[in-house]
Amino acid sequence: MSVLDAPVGAAPGPAGTGEGLVGVFVRLKLTLLRNGLRQSAGRRAAYITSVVFALLIAASQLLGLILMRGNAHAGALVVLLTGVLAVGWTVMPLFFPSGDETLDPSRLVMLPLRPRPLIAALLAASLVGIGPLFTLCLAAGSVVAVAHGAAGAVFAVVAAPLTLLLCVALTRAVATANTRLLTSRKGRDLAVLSGLVIAVGLQVVNFGAQRIGQAGGLAALEPAADVVRWLPPASAVGAVDSASRGAYGQALVQLLLSVAALVALLWLWQRSLVKLMTAPDGSTLAAAGPGREKAGKDGSRLSALLPQGRTGPVMERSLRYIARDPKTKAAWVTALAIGLIVPVLNALQGTGSIYFACFAAWMLGIQMYNQFGQDTSAFWMVALTISSPRDAYLELRARALALLLITLPYTALVTVVTAGVLGDWGDLPEAMGLSFALLGGMLATGAMASAHFPYSIPQDGAFKNVAPGQAGLAWISIFGGMVSAGLLCAPVIAVTIWLHLADLEQWLWLLLPVGAAYGALISWAGLRLAAPRTADRLPEILTAVSKG
Amino acid sequence: MQDRAETDRAARAGEAGRPATPPAVRVQGLWKRFGQQTAVAGIDLELPAGKFIGLVGPNGAGKTTTLSMVTGLLRPDQGTVEVAGHDVWRDPVEVKSRIGVLPEGLRLFERLSGRELLAYTGRLRGLPGAEVDKRATQLLDVLDLAGAQHKLVVDYSTGMRKKIGLAAALLHNPEVLFLDEPFEGVDPVSAQTIREVLERYTRSGATVVFSSHVMELVESLCDWVAVMAAGSIRAQGTLDQVRGEASSLQNAFLELVGAGSRTGGDSLDWLGGKR
Repeated sequence: MSVLDAPVGAAPGPAGTGEGLVGVFVRLKLTLLRNGLRQSAGRRAAYITSVVFALLIAASQLLGLILMRGNAHAGALVVLLTGVLAVGWTVMPLFFPSGDETLDPSRLVMLPLRPRPLIAALLAASLVGIGPLFTLCLAAGSVVAVAHGAAGAVFAVVAAPLTLLLCVALTRAVATANTRLLTSRKGRDLAVLSGLVIAVGLQVVNFGAQRIGQAGGLAALEPAADVVRWLPPASAVGAVDSASRGAYGQALVQLLLSVAALVALLWLWQRSLVKLMTAPDGSTLAAAGPGREKAGKDGSRLSALLPQGRTGPVMERSLRYIARDPKTKAAWVTALAIGLIVPVLNALQGTGSIYFACFAAWMLGIQMYNQFGQDTSAFWMVALTISSPRDAYLELRARALALLLITLPYTALVTVVTAGVLGDWGDLPEAMGLSFALLGGMLATGAMASAHFPYSIPQDGAFKNVAPGQAGLAWISIFGGMVSAGLLCAPVIAVTIWLHLADLEQWLWLLLPVGAAYGALISWAGLRLAAPRTADRLPEILTAVSKG
Repeated sequence: MQDRAETDRAARAGEAGRPATPPAVRVQGLWKRFGQQTAVAGIDLELPAGKFIGLVGPNGAGKTTTLSMVTGLLRPDQGTVEVAGHDVWRDPVEVKSRIGVLPEGLRLFERLSGRELLAYTGRLRGLPGAEVDKRATQLLDVLDLAGAQHKLVVDYSTGMRKKIGLAAALLHNPEVLFLDEPFEGVDPVSAQTIREVLERYTRSGATVVFSSHVMELVESLCDWVAVMAAGSIRAQGTLDQVRGEASSLQNAFLELVGAGSRTGGDSLDWLGGKR
């Protein structure tokens, strides 16, 4: 029999009744909050600042929304705003897994609590805090913006708290369902990738905002709002809008959709909570099956395709790390995404130029920087096998080759796509030549920077990419390197400009082979120069990259 | 008192050493400072080849710093290190191919599986692919890692990490093996496995140098011991020489590092007294 099945009567005190339990949990949350603030003045200051800040934003938004009253597109705006808010609440537990200890079910396992009152109490406790207050302000503002007449007011009174409850239930359901995931290694890997979601999301929001600016204001929101107004919790706010416009049937359906969603979420939350508290966590146990397995052959097909000697294994490991190491993966996916988004979206909006395609080469070239920092302190395994500048050259060259395996086709692809969107096929060869030259410059300076300015990359947390005290080093390495990469490409840029100015446009295609050859030459030179420095500085590099 | 013990023992160690083969490790005047702190204060050390050698000392004695400098992972401020007759800093080609290292507190390439890690290390060491495969298979079997060979090292337990690290260090059949705290945090079963592999390896004439602060372990495994404390060598020689008149290595060690008399006096005399 599990703890959750224990008769309620067996539990003394407030756990017996639902209302008592709610009080206990809300008091617990307040006490934890107070004690947390008592610990240090800095924490208190940070908390008060964030409260003031959040309240100011909430108040200004409330005011802004009330001012929106009467605007023809207010309905669309509030519906989308609620949608964004709900998405925020959904992904929040993925970014901040250890958010709230009152809500951590693993701390409640030993208590004789039935699931239903427990859910009610946890939900009530979740409503205490800045986030819910902020959400309530926003929800209130939203319904005020669209509510007209008595029916609108009635729906508004129900919709605002319902929206808040839905948001909170959403975040708890997601967090509980993911507790196992988030406490495991795979879940932490996922959290590291969350930085990427934000980086790419910001780009999309940025371009979306530009679009609205161009396409004649809030009217552009209507098509999206038509879908979102049927999705809970936005449908609750949509119901207020519908009721105000006299569409009572539609309003009722929208409101019921939100209520049904709340019930479903609470049910899902309860189910995963019960499962979490009664089933043991098996993720750390060794397999109980037949323990001794004979070691078989290494069936790697990748290694068969790659060159022999040092080059093959180093390339293979680099490529595996791009796929498996969350930090490396996040950096790569960000670079790939932004390298494509910036030139292509600019081209789509008609503000672009084919030369923006060089951005992809530049973003991907950055991956060559701090090569050894990406190894973390495991660099000792590399250091122990490098005993001459030749070894160091092979090591650096193999890493550059692994990089080129992805960047070369990708740069070509981005340039072709940009040219296609712009319809500017004539400038394709020169833009691609410039990209290749820039990529060569980035590889050369990246190799030099890896040897001269290595720094540690902390392995935990999505937003820490430099160990404390090494930020200066990282900036010197990346920015100095990027400026020098630009300077290294100056000859190719100069030739491009000269050909344009001298009206020799029929020769511009020559820039493709010239740029590629020049890029190859300077990368080779950069690797050659970096190799002896790497071989000389092995212990210093190891010390620099072991601080994470 | 301690200085005399050191010179006595060093002298005896010199007589015991065989001058015909070069020592596995010869360290002269090795210094390392980190800011104000002196981690290693001018040590001289001569470790005979073909022995199971223990480097013992309390936490913070400078064992890891010394081993890092000896294996070429940390640049000394001063002093020379020779491994099998070759200078570590002037002749890295000769030295790096002859040594295997299992450091403490440094990561492995944890996003590779155990087998991939061995394949990577072996091929980086210049072994042909088929040979690496054969050796990796045997090492994984002997170290009882065959069942976890396709798991990523990041998901390994402490004992499994030490074992895969040991396998990576042994793969190229080095002459001298340096292990920093190889038994730290390792369960008794894994410890026994590691022990058996190391004993078999030294019987072939290879040298194992390992650091530890567990005296019983050192006493049962090693035939040669160097005692380190506060950045200097307090004694070195065969187990018997270092143990001297003391009843156990533990007691000799406590005396050598100057911790023997700490329990005396009237401090704590209330403890266990009348309540």
